[in-house]
Amino acid sequence: MNGMARSAARSVLTSPSRLVLTGTAITLSVAFLVATLVLTDSMRGRAARDIAEAFAGTDAVVQGVELGEPGGGPGDPVRSVQQALDTGITERVAAVDGVLGAAAQWVGFAKLVVDGSSVGAGTASDVGRTWVSDPGLSPFRLASGRAPSEVGEIVVDRSLATAADVAPGDVVQVLTATGMHDATITGVATFASADAAPLQRTVLLPDAAAAPWLDTVAPTEVLVDVAEGADRAEVLGRVAALSDGDVVDGAAYVRTAQGAATSPLEFLNVFLLAFAVVAVVIGVTIIFNTFGLIVARRRRESGLLRAIGAERRQVVGGVVVEAALVGTLATLVGLVCGVAGVGALRWVVGLTGISLLTGPTIVTPASIGIAATVGIGATILAAWIPARRAGATPPIEALRESAAEPRRVPPARTASGFVLAVLAIAGGAVAVVGSTPAWLVLVIGIVPAIVLCGPAIVTATARWSSPLARRAAGVGGVIAAGNLGTSPRRSASTGLALTLGTAIVTLFAIFASSLASGVGTDVRDGLQADMVVTSATPDVSTIDPTLADRIEALPDVGAVAAVTKAEGVVAGAAEAIGGIDPAALPTMFDLDPIAGDLADLTGGGVAVVGDDPARLGDVVSIEFERSTLEAPVVAVVARSTGGFEAPVHFVDRATLDAAAGSQLDALVLVDLADGAGRDAEDDVRALVRDVPGSFLETRAEHVANSGSSVAAFGNFIDGMLILASLIALLGVANTTALAINERRGEIGLLRAVGTTRPELRRIVRLETGLLSFVAAVIGVAVAAGFGWALIDVTGGSEIPSVIMPWSRIALTLVVAVAAGVAAAAWPAFRVSRVPVLELVSRDR
Amino acid sequence: MSPYPDHAVVDRLPGSAPPSRPDDAAAMLVGAVKRYGSGGASVVALDDVTIAFPAGRFTAVMGPSGSGKSTMMHCAAGLDRLSSGRAFVGGTDLSTLDDRELTLLRRERIGFVFQAFNLVATLTAEENICLPLTLSGRRPDRAVLEQVVSMLGLGDRLHHRPAELSGGQQQRVAVARALVARPQVVFADEPTGNLDTRSGHEILGYLRSAVDLHHQSIVMVTHDPNAAAWADHVVFVVDGRVHDVMDRPSADAVLDVVKGLGR
Repeated sequence: MNGMARSAARSVLTSPSRLVLTGTAITLSVAFLVATLVLTDSMRGRAARDIAEAFAGTDAVVQGVELGEPGGGPGDPVRSVQQALDTGITERVAAVDGVLGAAAQWVGFAKLVVDGSSVGAGTASDVGRTWVSDPGLSPFRLASGRAPSEVGEIVVDRSLATAADVAPGDVVQVLTATGMHDATITGVATFASADAAPLQRTVLLPDAAAAPWLDTVAPTEVLVDVAEGADRAEVLGRVAALSDGDVVDGAAYVRTAQGAATSPLEFLNVFLLAFAVVAVVIGVTIIFNTFGLIVARRRRESGLLRAIGAERRQVVGGVVVEAALVGTLATLVGLVCGVAGVGALRWVVGLTGISLLTGPTIVTPASIGIAATVGIGATILAAWIPARRAGATPPIEALRESAAEPRRVPPARTASGFVLAVLAIAGGAVAVVGSTPAWLVLVIGIVPAIVLCGPAIVTATARWSSPLARRAAGVGGVIAAGNLGTSPRRSASTGLALTLGTAIVTLFAIFASSLASGVGTDVRDGLQADMVVTSATPDVSTIDPTLADRIEALPDVGAVAAVTKAEGVVAGAAEAIGGIDPAALPTMFDLDPIAGDLADLTGGGVAVVGDDPARLGDVVSIEFERSTLEAPVVAVVARSTGGFEAPVHFVDRATLDAAAGSQLDALVLVDLADGAGRDAEDDVRALVRDVPGSFLETRAEHVANSGSSVAAFGNFIDGMLILASLIALLGVANTTALAINERRGEIGLLRAVGTTRPELRRIVRLETGLLSFVAAVIGVAVAAGFGWALIDVTGGSEIPSVIMPWSRIALTLVVAVAAGVAAAAWPAFRVSRVPVLELVSRDR
Repeated sequence: MSPYPDHAVVDRLPGSAPPSRPDDAAAMLVGAVKRYGSGGASVVALDDVTIAFPAGRFTAVMGPSGSGKSTMMHCAAGLDRLSSGRAFVGGTDLSTLDDRELTLLRRERIGFVFQAFNLVATLTAEENICLPLTLSGRRPDRAVLEQVVSMLGLGDRLHHRPAELSGGQQQRVAVARALVARPQVVFADEPTGNLDTRSGHEILGYLRSAVDLHHQSIVMVTHDPNAAAWADHVVFVVDGRVHDVMDRPSADAVLDVVKGLGR
């Protein structure tokens, strides 16, 4: 066994180029995996530490009773919706025996505006919070200046101060639920020791500003400090008896806050893990192919070993040891690259508009352990079948000239693959026709079907493409097409990496385009207004509520309708409730009522989006933070106002204000008077430009932009396309280069009888181009079919129809084939280096 | 040591003048030296060889293992380059050609038959036969093709792939490929080495009749005295030098010389 290990090690070291090509796939997978884990730990670790530190002095928090959990989707509210507390709760908590201190926190929306433009973009939310003067309870600490003491004074967090380049003494503005307010910065604060609270931009206000600015009378939560030496549980019990709010233990509060702060990262994590899985799957395919070829090439050597008395186990062991060596080396490099690459990854992710936290990189033993296990484990696992094959080599092989892989594909293999494919397609069809998602399970069978049918597809391709190739490239084309069919299994598994890559990319592309279209459909079909004022941040209301009236006051403006949104809870789920003007809206945005009359909203009714007229008259219960609205359905409408967080329930604007407090506007629809010219449009444009937090779009622009919040998806798809192409490229290069080694005799012959080097290179490029094309077409076709069925059946109301992104699919095909041809560069170089004398000098 | 100086060898080749006119010979080496490696470890495989292979004749090259007979053929056929000296095919000096020109010369003016790996596995017999022609974008002369194919008895095998042919049939396809373009010279490297006696005889018979009927020039490297006996002349190579030349050889006479070489 020792001898076998030594021979394995020597064999790894004697062909460095093969080691590099094989190892790179694993290195990439491991690097991606470890980077994902480290990034997650670092972000989560930093956010968790900051939050724990910020609330270290808080023993308990009194909160309103939770009404509904957020849905967790990309557009759903981050926080849960809670019932409001009593207004006098803080004083009563502070008076409880054993409570050392109690501080009220009012939390709402506040956006910093400097020189007429709002500060900050991206996924972080704009938060207004009252300043807690008790230093033991305050999550924020002053870095410079002083605390705000009267309405009109604010403190901003340090990252806001840096971003806006402001300092204590500067005069700025703050946009809140009650409109735009002038403010003076009195200080800059840190969240514990961090520049900002995780994924938040915070403006800190004096308590007195809570009502006029945040429009909240009752505090959002009360932070409680229990006296040293007091029985904590007993004190908290006494606090709980005071109100109908919930008393949350400090540790539990910190855990919830930590979870909320990192939940946007979960979404990101799914993508990063998807990258890692793609990398590992393709990596495994490459290792499998490489070792398959190595073993085939060493058939004589294995036969010799068996002939002179090596046991099967020993021959298998030799191959496995070699795989383990390659895997270990590649994994070590991957670990280093991954940890070092976290910085690069942060930068790439930053390009998509998501700003990641800065802070130290946290590398846990668990991350290293998981990545190393996957890297080394995948290598050994992938090499196992080829190793078994080596062990099964009969000793007589040592005496034979050469034995290539059997050309014939076992018919049973193809037949079973075909049956699986038929089942998968039938399952998809039944699911689509009957709208029964359960049948979709069968569709998964298409993956093993492709694996099983691959060699047969390759053989067929080789046969059918031969005449075409002859016409296109002469005898070289025939040789190229024929080479594909020489070892159909190897060709098939080489192509598999590319098929998987293109399939995953296509699937995501279809999902993204359908989602974008779904989000945009309502706007496309319903919007009739000439212009639309939108919020600075998609799906968050940031339009000054006075703007609508000021636009209406302009000459040549025909009509204006504002749409607001507030968070409410219907049937236990938090969602956005729309507030509309039922008189003005219908002429500018057709919600398409199919039953009832929108005009009845003014009487306190509810309009619901749906397709069932029978819901008319049902009573809907909507819970807001400060009240509950019970109202009958007076209208059923076919569509909503569009956007990611499109409301499903609409009430009259006045009803919403009464139930949920005043809100900023989410949209303002503007119709110009008949015959109004460009001047009128310019007037509106000028007015809107001066109001921070609002943008003006024409109808066409708004329709075009209404799916744009999905556009960030596009970057992920592009990244995935590049990654999949890159890894598949390695696979194609590696397998083709190794296959060329196997064909050295024949290549030598071609050179001897007069094939020039460029002609040989062309043959290799043709071969890989053909294989890449077939592999990519299959990948795209399967993903298109599967994606269509999946989205059609499970899309629901958010994705009503499947939209095929044809240009992106075409791009995927082109990139995949280009990657295949590019991958041929290395083997093409190798092939032209095969000496003419290769075949004649053999066995001499 | 050779009893004959090299110029005497050339003089003794029937129908050939001293090598001042490369055009007269099918192929020729002048002062050919081939050295492998460098410094103290260098091995001289060809040691100042001057020899002409006459046109329209069948020349066999014999010698013990390591004698340099294969190297001589490789250099004469443009498969390998000389360390010094010159190699001619027809009137063309191979040392003046770059890799591409050499490749084009091989496919247009030289035919090859090797011991093994003679055919491209993915092409049919007919495609293999026509390969050098199609590579240079020429169409095979149908008459020549039919003549060669019928001579070699391959008529019913043209659409088979190499894997579907016997060893002898594969070698006949290789001979057909070498002959069909009517090249200036055919180089055959142990063409019967992998065949049974009967198939070997057939192959040698075809080569012989190509010379007799069509004045094809053929140079064949072999270690088998029976094969060499089919040739017009036999050139014996020892230690990188031409040791002897025999005209109208018989198997026994060749064997005698070979035995002498072994001493």
